[in-house]
Amino acid sequence: MTDISADILALTTTFKMAALTTIILLLLGTPLAWYLAKWQSKWKVIFEAVVALPLVLPPTVLGFYLLLAFSPGSLPGQLWQSATGSQLAFSFSAIVIGSVLYSLPFVVQPLQKAFEQLGDHHLEAAAMLGAGPIDRFFSIVLPLTKASFITATALGFAHTVGEFGVVLMIGGNIPGETRVLSIALFDHVEAFNYANAHILSAGLLIASLLLLSMVYLLGNNVNKTQQNLAKS
Amino acid sequence: MPRLLKNTLQKTLTLAIIWLALQASHVYANEPILLQERPLRIAVAANFAPALKVLLADLPNNTNIDYQIISAATGTLYQQIKHGAPFDLFLSADSTRPALLEQAGLIIENSRKSYAYGQIALWSATQPLTSLSILNNYSGNLAIANPDTAPYGKAAKQALTYLSLWSEQKTKLVTGINISQTFQQVRSQAVPLGFVAYSQLKMNQYQGLLIPEQFYQPIEQQLVIVKTSKQVAIAQKLSDFILQTNSQATLQQLGYLPVKTEND
Amino acid sequence: MSTLSNSTNTSSDSPSYSEQLAISDNPHATSLALAFKLAFNSFVISVEQEIHLSAVTGVYGDSGSGKSTLLRIIAGLEQQAVGKISLNGKSLQDSAKKQYIKAEKRQIGLVFQDSRLFPHLSVYQNLAYGAKRQKNSQLSIEKVLTLTKLKSLQHQNVTQLSGGEKQRVSIARALLAEPKLLLLDEPFSALDKSTKSQMLTILKDIQQQLNLPMLYVSHSLSELQYIADQLIVVSAGKISTVNPIHQAIHQLNNAEETSPKTSLSLTVAEHLPDYGLTRLSLPIAQDKTASIYLPLLEQTITPSLLGQKLPCMIYARDISISITKPEHSSIVNHLPATIIEIQYGKTNALVTLKSGEQQFFAQISLWSKKRLALTIQSTVYIQFKANAVHSYHYTESPKNA
Repeated sequence: MTDISADILALTTTFKMAALTTIILLLLGTPLAWYLAKWQSKWKVIFEAVVALPLVLPPTVLGFYLLLAFSPGSLPGQLWQSATGSQLAFSFSAIVIGSVLYSLPFVVQPLQKAFEQLGDHHLEAAAMLGAGPIDRFFSIVLPLTKASFITATALGFAHTVGEFGVVLMIGGNIPGETRVLSIALFDHVEAFNYANAHILSAGLLIASLLLLSMVYLLGNNVNKTQQNLAKS
Repeated sequence: MPRLLKNTLQKTLTLAIIWLALQASHVYANEPILLQERPLRIAVAANFAPALKVLLADLPNNTNIDYQIISAATGTLYQQIKHGAPFDLFLSADSTRPALLEQAGLIIENSRKSYAYGQIALWSATQPLTSLSILNNYSGNLAIANPDTAPYGKAAKQALTYLSLWSEQKTKLVTGINISQTFQQVRSQAVPLGFVAYSQLKMNQYQGLLIPEQFYQPIEQQLVIVKTSKQVAIAQKLSDFILQTNSQATLQQLGYLPVKTEND
Repeated sequence: MSTLSNSTNTSSDSPSYSEQLAISDNPHATSLALAFKLAFNSFVISVEQEIHLSAVTGVYGDSGSGKSTLLRIIAGLEQQAVGKISLNGKSLQDSAKKQYIKAEKRQIGLVFQDSRLFPHLSVYQNLAYGAKRQKNSQLSIEKVLTLTKLKSLQHQNVTQLSGGEKQRVSIARALLAEPKLLLLDEPFSALDKSTKSQMLTILKDIQQQLNLPMLYVSHSLSELQYIADQLIVVSAGKISTVNPIHQAIHQLNNAEETSPKTSLSLTVAEHLPDYGLTRLSLPIAQDKTASIYLPLLEQTITPSLLGQKLPCMIYARDISISITKPEHSSIVNHLPATIIEIQYGKTNALVTLKSGEQQFFAQISLWSKKRLALTIQSTVYIQFKANAVHSYHYTESPKNA
């Protein structure tokens, strides 16, 4: 396999991993952020700290513990094996689960902040007009916190693309399955393929720069509209 | 934002999400096929990966072996194999981890073989070195790999001790987590002088001072065939290939000391 | 004591169980039965009362008295409240039976003090929000736009509206959810006086057209006097019995925190543009009416006002007493009256008088009281300027017309 086709394979794997991770994070992170924003309890800080833990823990350490958890000898690993018929550690699923944990604060925190700022005022007004909880989320919360959803999506995606330690540990660097861009890049540097490393780095940087700029442009526009709205 | 642009963006985003979800399900659908007829997976210590690629380029065409090279730190690969990593062949940068795997019963019996000996060299990217005597009144920082965890660092420490310079130099050491980091530090001129792998210099056509064999214990590198491998025969074939005379000669050119085999 | 209000019959005793049953059986009765308790850190609101809802029931109280919380509990926004609430015999909450109908299912509307319009929606979309979630709607958005005079604003962004416009949208939005009861929590307190009176007039008109019972919370008695026909007073988490508006306000005359006033409803008799006055008639005996004048209400804008009852208020400090008939005075309003009670304060006396069946309150200095030798049962004349007669009725100034 040539280096270029191997890099393209790593690129598509990365993109699939980051996209799937981001979707799962939005699905899981939104209710979690909502719960944290609305929950009034002294125990809340503990949950907030748990969500923030991936920021503190070195990724390789997080990866090591996940490796222990995902291995065929551990309970979660066995449960997965009996449920899906295939091993969890060193699979694409494993790096997606790892990335979800690793990028969790990047999605939950902006959403939680947005939900806290949104407050209950508009939700109460919507309830008085006959809108139930789900209805209120889609008709009021989502449009009013759009900017934060965009930020959360961008951060979750970007952070997942850039992750290295967790994926290296639990993925096993298997081409086409768990070998992602950051690891491919590392391999090139290790193997003194600096030319390949430069091309890959430059490509990754430019693509990320474009993607993030687009997202922030979108976010800024939404923000401006919302600021205008908030002036009322 | 104009309403039209907003709608277009929303639609694009929705389509993108659907496409991604489909792609993701595609990955899952492909999974069993990958597991059935997958290439031989060679897990290799990161610093030996370049040499392995050179070796495997000489693999006769008729062997027709389909393989994947997976490189990481020896310690990482060891942990992964312990926890069920689907590798077939493991080329370690040391002899300790293969021995531990053997004790744990995680390798095919009698598959543990030494395949090369690493050598260390003193190197500077700022000035050509002529003699080890430069270390005698050297007051700058000295780069070595972590002597407690990296085999090349351990060798560097032994060499310094042999030269009775360890106690003098140990306060000025810049310690890399592995030999790759040490090589980068010296190469970038961040550290003026350091002990690197001789193979690193050879691969990149740099000139350094090879440290004499007797100054340190040989850095013995071993390979094993992983117990869970379903392609033991092919793995054995590759192991034999690496140990054969021609391959060992190539390794010598790449800065390693060859192993002596009875077959020669 | 007679009342001049046309409100429904009220009972001052707590309703018995059988009375509740009787109300539940009558589909036309509009009643709100409350029996609940809610404790905050240091504040307890505890209410047990059945309210027979009239057109607009005013809820009066100081800030912090718990009147907003009362509305929120009825609306279903305070889930910690424990007890029973039912509207028109239909139970909304019964903690003993673990029953709690959520706010969105109660068919109660709430207009907040801070309009709480949805900033991402236009005026029309805000109105449609409530209408869309209504299964069998009777009201059309078009009709409500007309009622609330919002037609020209319907495509505007709600963030660009003035305070009065926002509250109109807020009311319109609540109406379109077609509630069985509309709660209003100080809806106009942030508005200037002229806008406020305009809003009150619009609201009164809406109430009459839709026949929708309302509970209107305010800390302004004059506002409540104009809009409400009966009043509940909330104080320290407890509520008073429901009384007709004028009677309730007169009862509050004895409370220190409000300035004493006469509250009455008068029929608009004629407009006298040449003199800048509008004449109102007050029945003082069976076949006799007296006239009370106030500054001209613009009849070109509200021609239908003739013959209508107009709530008015005269502060006790603006009414003076004369022993003789004051014929040579610029003060236009004077009526014969009999003193029925005199209460002494530190610096002045509050005199209660009756002209026919109508009570008046006059505040005079202790010196005047002594000089005029006023006693109970003495017949005197009360007098007050046209300007002293206050009504919240909105009169559009010609330049805006």
